[in-house]
Amino acid sequence: MLLDLSEEHKDHLAFLPRVNSSVVAEFGRIAVEFLRRGANPKIYEGAARKLNVSSDTVQHGVEGLIYLLTESSKLMISELDFQDSVFVLGFSEELNKLLLQLYLDNRKEIRTILSELAPDLPSYHSLEWRLDVQLASRSLRQQIKPSVTIKLHLNQNGDRNTKVLQTDPATLMHLVQQLEQALEEMKTNHCRRVVRSIK
Amino acid sequence: MELSESVQKGFQRLADPGSFDSNAFTLLLRAAFQSLLDAQADEAVLDHPDLKHIDPVVLKHCHTAAATYILEAGKQRADKSTLSTYLEDCKFDRERIELFCTEYQNNKDSLEILLGSIGRSLPHITDVSWRLEYQIKTNQLHKMYRPAYLVTLNVENTDSQSYPEISFSCNMEQLQDLVGKLKDASKSLERATQF
Repeated sequence: MLLDLSEEHKDHLAFLPRVNSSVVAEFGRIAVEFLRRGANPKIYEGAARKLNVSSDTVQHGVEGLIYLLTESSKLMISELDFQDSVFVLGFSEELNKLLLQLYLDNRKEIRTILSELAPDLPSYHSLEWRLDVQLASRSLRQQIKPSVTIKLHLNQNGDRNTKVLQTDPATLMHLVQQLEQALEEMKTNHCRRVVRSIK
Repeated sequence: MELSESVQKGFQRLADPGSFDSNAFTLLLRAAFQSLLDAQADEAVLDHPDLKHIDPVVLKHCHTAAATYILEAGKQRADKSTLSTYLEDCKFDRERIELFCTEYQNNKDSLEILLGSIGRSLPHITDVSWRLEYQIKTNQLHKMYRPAYLVTLNVENTDSQSYPEISFSCNMEQLQDLVGKLKDASKSLERATQF
């Protein structure tokens, strides 16, 4: 699958061959950093002054690079397809190699970042537990009531959400049994066939 | 066992054969247990023809007193000798003491379950459901190809009678971690309750 680059995008990327490869490498580093932590416009101004161009030009160049990397990573295009897609830009052999390396080096991480953009349910982080025995309450003395107190840590949209819950021994065993069945399910023939056929 | 004067008076009235003959006593006693333990019970428990001759105010007073005493005895886990002693002090005759103790013994388990279920506690997990899916792509990421689980815990809030659910997603390693920890808890519980 080839990338379909718009005219505007090609325009923005046209800045790259105008600077030397160490600058392109630096832009690449900035692009990935922006994907990790968000854009920082001050960087554009600093770079623009050093290169003696407008900060807009720098911004477009970096953004063009970001988009190139994210689109390629999203589609998980092959090396060959990436090279062919970039070929239409008419860059030098050296620049093409650099861009390919940038893609291959950062693809995995970019895909991880992109996966965080999916519709988000709270996701499991960790769990702590504690055994308790209730001995008495206001309405009944002399009890022996075992229970398990659970602290469930969930992540959602980057925030940690903690729920404190309780359960009795019988339900705990039931939970373990049910969830073990869930894990076993992936090993069944049905699931294995599905996994094999969707590639 | 601390009972208010009103309760004590009402209870002592029950001992008096002049106010309550044998039959009426038994009926009132059963009505008291029924009011406490039968979820469907209402004021009609006292609507028995053999209780009609008694002044309704007295009937209600003694019914309340009996129910209050039963709850207090249940709460304190009173044994037969404690019950007998108190009933003797209230001037109950032998026959009525035996009757009370028998009725109490018959209903003791239900009473303790009822009392044990009253009170605040943390949200209580009652059940779990899970869903296994195979993720193929999102609009941000194609060619994903990985399994994911969606787990929902059914939770009961004892005081607000609400049933919120807690849902979360996890991958295989995370579910293994979760199950592993729950298994540890379960094993520890087994070991602890063997003593």
